[in-house]
Amino acid sequence: MWSSWRRCAAQDTCSVPLPRLVSTASFRLSALYAVLFGGCVLLLGAAAFWSTRSALETQLTRRIEAEMTLLEQEFRSNGIDRLIATVQQRTRIKGNLDYFVLDTAGKRLAGDLPTTDRLGWVVFDGGQNAGGEQSEEKEAVRVLVKQLDGGFRLGVGEDLEQVGEMEETFLGILASALGIVLVLGIGGGLLLSAAFLRRVDMITRTADAIIDGDLSRRIERTGSGDDFDHLSATLNVMLDRIAGLMENLRQVSSDIAHDLRTPLSRLRQDLEEAQKRELSAADFKRVIEDAVAEADVLLETFSALLRIAQIEAGTRRSAFRPVDLSDVMRTVAEAYAPAVEESGRTLRTDIAEGVQVSGDRGLLSQLFVNLVENALHHTPPGTTIALRLSGQSAGVVAEVADTGPGIPADERVKVFRRFYRLERSRTAPGSGLGLSTVAAIVELHHAAIELLDNEPGLRVVIRFPA
Amino acid sequence: MKVLLVEDDVKTAAYVKRGLEEHGHVVDSAANGRDGLFLAAGEVYDVMIVDRMLPGLDGLGIVKTVRAAGVTTPVLFLTTMGGIEDRVEGLQVGDDYLVKPFAFSELMARINALARRPPIAQAPTVLRVADLEMDLLGRKVRRAGQEIDLQPREFRLLEYLMRNAGRLVTRTMLLEHVWEFNFEPKTNIVETHISRLRSKIDRGFDVELLETVRGSGYLLRAPA
Repeated sequence: MWSSWRRCAAQDTCSVPLPRLVSTASFRLSALYAVLFGGCVLLLGAAAFWSTRSALETQLTRRIEAEMTLLEQEFRSNGIDRLIATVQQRTRIKGNLDYFVLDTAGKRLAGDLPTTDRLGWVVFDGGQNAGGEQSEEKEAVRVLVKQLDGGFRLGVGEDLEQVGEMEETFLGILASALGIVLVLGIGGGLLLSAAFLRRVDMITRTADAIIDGDLSRRIERTGSGDDFDHLSATLNVMLDRIAGLMENLRQVSSDIAHDLRTPLSRLRQDLEEAQKRELSAADFKRVIEDAVAEADVLLETFSALLRIAQIEAGTRRSAFRPVDLSDVMRTVAEAYAPAVEESGRTLRTDIAEGVQVSGDRGLLSQLFVNLVENALHHTPPGTTIALRLSGQSAGVVAEVADTGPGIPADERVKVFRRFYRLERSRTAPGSGLGLSTVAAIVELHHAAIELLDNEPGLRVVIRFPA
Repeated sequence: MKVLLVEDDVKTAAYVKRGLEEHGHVVDSAANGRDGLFLAAGEVYDVMIVDRMLPGLDGLGIVKTVRAAGVTTPVLFLTTMGGIEDRVEGLQVGDDYLVKPFAFSELMARINALARRPPIAQAPTVLRVADLEMDLLGRKVRRAGQEIDLQPREFRLLEYLMRNAGRLVTRTMLLEHVWEFNFEPKTNIVETHISRLRSKIDRGFDVELLETVRGSGYLLRAPA
């Protein structure tokens, strides 16, 4: 099944083999519907059949009883001869009831009904009469027999041909209705599932192409706006997202390799130098200290990368609780005030009281620490760094602004990329991961970050959802 | 001090064991969760150092089991780099948390702080180191009877140093306990705060109480 599916999916056009049609959900549903409908038709048909038949029989019985009453009166008022004459006259008329008149010895005096010794209602089934006597007629007959005065017996009957005909016609109609229902249901099911499978195959073909390495393939849309079209659109968006992530991953991998080469080769140089025999004890100590420092840089970079990856995974959201953002920002400002002042810069704060957001306190602290450190390391002395927080009904807005050189507009998006560094910052300390971490933390908190021109300087605005 | 070390990485275990023994401590080590649990439940230790990821039984599981058995020995968890997810969980079960790779002095400082952590019931209301006095209820600090004005954060910083008087306190420990920063900022903010604090408590006095241990951390102690 699987291999035939794959083979089929790989071709542009292919006919769908029957077993596949039969195993689709749409076929099974329509088959089930057809069977249910067929059952209903049968049930309804049976009910109609039985009621019609019993109505017909009742009608027949009344007619025979009425005729009998009439003939009994004829006999009582006018005698046997008159009865015989009447019966003979009636027998001649086609389509009328059938009769017999017998004398005490059981000899037929008139009529052509098969005779019987019994009284009351008698039914001859086709072929033979109730008395075992071979009947001339082949149809079943229903007869009412009555004893008359003077030993005569009168029989009035009607063959059941009419009822039989009705039964046959009815059963014929029922059978064809049932046939039509089943054929339409199953045929419709096959058509439906063929249409269904064509759409599914389109998706499968795209998936196969992607598995084979063509990552740019997307599912064709019919534009009909139906469920399949929606599904295709959603899958295409998902594929775009995956492609974006893959591209990001590829870029990050090469960036990591590139960025770690420098500290790694420095580490290697240090260790090589340490291997030299003629090194003095003091030099040896220095070289080893350098090597440890380089290793620390490497470890710090890895640590930051892993941290970003973990934040991006989003699992920490479950640990979110209300955080006093005012307190977080005040703590950061307080922690950095001495360092900022000693570096010849100024720190200003305008932090509204009691502003709360739902989040992770540790990560929110890191968010503002990274932004303040960015401002501290990438601006000249004399710069003013401002921390602002306002909590309005529309949402919480936090700002870290500086009066430094700022970031050119065309580079503002790029700075969130891992390892991205502005040309003038190449020599500044840092791993190039500070703003990537900030972006990941902002994203985790469903917040939005904007880099604006502070005229002069950089203004980072973070809006938390209300 | 008797220390239990449960660590499956042979190199790390040897490094930690050697270092602790050089400092005069007795170390029992186990390389997997089962042996670790056996030792933790059967022997009495001053501190347990437990790796989070262990073959056999997870470090968290060991500590939960022995705690359930009534063992209150302080526990320091070791975890691999970047394990921020495990942090909260680890601190709920254990007492401290250290991310690999770590400097030995950091580990030493932390287990010293853990081993001599005073029981909560005897929490003092006044801390004293030489002639430096901290009134925890009145939020006041005096040195030689002279009142010293401290910012709230400086108070917290000094309180942590005084509670660990005579023991090395690392930068990371201060960041975690005073500022609640569980990450390493690039700027040495601790140093600037320490130097401000030092100018308030030591300037003008003959004896300096707050020492900097180069490359490791800080030490507040009465001179011998």
